[in-house]
Amino acid sequence: MSRFDAIVIGAGINGLAAAATLARAGKSVCVLEQAAAPGGMATLRLDDGPELAPLLWNLSPVVLKAFNIDPATLGLGAPLPAVALDPGGAHIVLRGGWATSLSGETHADGPAFQRLHGQLVTYGALLRRLAEAPPPGGGTLLSQPGLAQLLRLSRLGLDLKRMGKPEMRRFLQVLLSNAYDLILDEMPDGPLAGLLAADAVRGNATGPRSPGSVFTLIYRMGHGGEVRRPEGGMPNLIRRLDEALQKTGCTIRTGTPVARIILEDDRVTGVETKGGEIIEAPRVLSSLGPKSVLGLTGAEAFDIEAARRIRHLRTRGTVAKVNLRLTAPRVPGLPDDLSAARLVYAPSADYVEAAFTPSKYGSLSEAPVIEATCVAAPDGRPWLSANVQYAPADLDGGWDDAACDRLRQITLDTLARALPDLPGAVEELQVIPPTRIAAETGAAGGHWHHAELALDQIFALRPGNGMGRYAMGPRGLYLCGASTHPGGDVMGLAGRNAAAAVLEGWV
Amino acid sequence: MSIFADPKLGLVPGPVHDRLAEQSRAMAWYDWAGYIAPSVLDSVEFEYFALRNQASLFDISPMHKYRVTGPGAVAMLNRMVTRDIRKIAVGRVGYTLWCDEAGHVIDDGTLFRLGEDDWRLCCQEPMLSWLDDAAWGFDATITDESHTVAGFSLQGPTSFAILEAAGLALADLKPFAFATPEDGLLVSRTGFTGDLGYELWCDWDAALPLWDRIWKAGAHRGLRAIGYEAVDIARLEAGFLTAGVDFQPVHATERLHRGRTPFELGFGRMVDLGKGHFNGRRALLAARAAPRSRLLRLDIEGFKPARGALIYDRFNRELGHVTSGVWSPTAKRNIALAHVKMPQAEAHPARLWAEIYTHEEGRWTTRMARATPMKAPAFAPARARATPPARF
Repeated sequence: MSRFDAIVIGAGINGLAAAATLARAGKSVCVLEQAAAPGGMATLRLDDGPELAPLLWNLSPVVLKAFNIDPATLGLGAPLPAVALDPGGAHIVLRGGWATSLSGETHADGPAFQRLHGQLVTYGALLRRLAEAPPPGGGTLLSQPGLAQLLRLSRLGLDLKRMGKPEMRRFLQVLLSNAYDLILDEMPDGPLAGLLAADAVRGNATGPRSPGSVFTLIYRMGHGGEVRRPEGGMPNLIRRLDEALQKTGCTIRTGTPVARIILEDDRVTGVETKGGEIIEAPRVLSSLGPKSVLGLTGAEAFDIEAARRIRHLRTRGTVAKVNLRLTAPRVPGLPDDLSAARLVYAPSADYVEAAFTPSKYGSLSEAPVIEATCVAAPDGRPWLSANVQYAPADLDGGWDDAACDRLRQITLDTLARALPDLPGAVEELQVIPPTRIAAETGAAGGHWHHAELALDQIFALRPGNGMGRYAMGPRGLYLCGASTHPGGDVMGLAGRNAAAAVLEGWV
Repeated sequence: MSIFADPKLGLVPGPVHDRLAEQSRAMAWYDWAGYIAPSVLDSVEFEYFALRNQASLFDISPMHKYRVTGPGAVAMLNRMVTRDIRKIAVGRVGYTLWCDEAGHVIDDGTLFRLGEDDWRLCCQEPMLSWLDDAAWGFDATITDESHTVAGFSLQGPTSFAILEAAGLALADLKPFAFATPEDGLLVSRTGFTGDLGYELWCDWDAALPLWDRIWKAGAHRGLRAIGYEAVDIARLEAGFLTAGVDFQPVHATERLHRGRTPFELGFGRMVDLGKGHFNGRRALLAARAAPRSRLLRLDIEGFKPARGALIYDRFNRELGHVTSGVWSPTAKRNIALAHVKMPQAEAHPARLWAEIYTHEEGRWTTRMARATPMKAPAFAPARARATPPARF
């Protein structure tokens, strides 16, 4: 039997970030991971395929600071260009918000796109302020955390003011609206509009016409809107974080699933592993979703209202992973300098909305939105790693082999519309439906963010009223995963914020 | 509670409505959970004195009844209610309350332990969706028996003799116990009057013959069918609360802070903070030390019923208001239940005054009457607890 100041369940990016933040404050921490290696959803692999999340949008420098890592030494790579695929072959290349054709001429909608992109990035920097701290509510107004919160909110207000009246007005006007209207106010519908619309709803069970999709689009732009591929892929990044964490003296135990969280007199005293081992700690931070945590404590540890909120949390994953093994590390039909680009098949905003519609009724999109990028698996072989949306977790008839075959075919057919030579270069296809992601990682519904990122499930309401400050139910029990503020996206902030909240109330 | 005169307004007849309609001279009906229920059948005085001096029969079928069964029923109910229900033995009935997460009372009711894992909850408010929520995560099944189980309340000193005359010998039945003397009939020694009395429970379809059987047995023992107004006097004498009157069931409130904790309602002894987690426990632990108000039993000077009166500290500082007040014909006291602010009311209990509003022959006046907190209910006769009960 061993004793720690805190136990962290799950060694995904958020679990690691939470452990690092606590360890940096001098606490003894034990991280328990069910899988054989840390990384969680980001590094989930089937057989010898590539990792589930090959790209980085929003890894937070604040989180890296907790690991005591200089971002410059981490090998995060250069920003990747994006290609908005066009079924007619007139693909559009995006570099730093500037749109050109394959041959380098400026696209007609380029300036409009750049303007909108720039605005979204500005707004994203504003929202990031909120993302980089626990939601308000800790301590009284005059306590140290209370004053820090007040200061943070006043800074946000000042920054908002500093944008100038027209910009501030526009920000507040669009923040809660839908991406479809916002985008099409600025440019005609086409692959550029489609790309933004697709990025607005990525990972969510919403369409670009759903309210709140502007918010999620802005959120995605929180760190400049650039996408990177870390050197050596996500497993390498996680390994670096893991090493940094071990240097702090933190214990990380992989292959150690937790069977239950032990409670005594309404407070946490430790966990019992599936192997029957008891590990003691007065605090447990779980990067699992709240429903899984409830499974580890039993419903009786929670108030009925809390259990109801947990049960009604929307966690319907809509993205399936399809990995296509290629004969060569390049995408047929694209120039070599774009072989590592982020490819987006979303020919128009209308197309994205139409792709969303069947998923509302439990069906696969026949014409899905696809985001793909060519990556090397750890063994060096080239794969096109594709996110296919919408492929709902609650598919009618379930995710059996026939459904997976169907998704495989749909993915190939859809990509072939823009890249006709691609199918000939594909040697093998892997399909990872949301249900599989859920089963492998414990993320409810296989949802990217563990819970829908929507206006009623953000900030102090994430994952639910009364749980927004990471503490839930019995004393010493905390959430630190993507289902808490500010959500997933391999950002690491949820874990870091949770640990910050835990430290605020440390006695 | 709205008073209806016209059953055509969407109310449905209860299981013995025909019998009640025959008895009704007052034609005074009200809406009880959607059923046509009598406020008064003849006159409230006749009915009240029958209840206290002979026996009374009151149809309580409109109460909400829920069955909770399954291996997880004990754990599920214990997480919901404030007392430790593991202490209720099979064959016993327990009075209990349940709270929301803020520790505010949702409702109170009686829990019948029909078997190890078989319970029936009787309460005033509709509770199905709450019970379904409470049962999530537990191996327990909730069945709404509100419209399939009928109940009568037979109360008064001769109620035991009447049961005996009806062929139901239950001399050993103790207060808060129940028995099943016949298939399909459950008799519990419970009630809402503070007196000797029983509640009889059966299938909805079996209710009419049972009513007739009791009615016949009561013919020479002063049995009278009664309406709610007589019960309301009796329950106040016994010090019982009515949901929606003496406290606001928190799920039925829209305004903030209208809910009350069990401590504020004087039910601190019904809260077992040591039994493990239950709904609202964390909030109650924090709220226990500082009740915002307190429900007091008051003895009011004079004889004017104090319903709606304001309560003052001396003559000027307002401390609260009376929720129910009546002249108790049996105790010969003017009694009331009142919500008063804490801790002010506790500081000087001898300085409480009630400002009573009276309307006499076209003129409203107020009068100040001394209000003295009572430790015990106004009426708690030994006959209510004697086992075997007397026949009178």
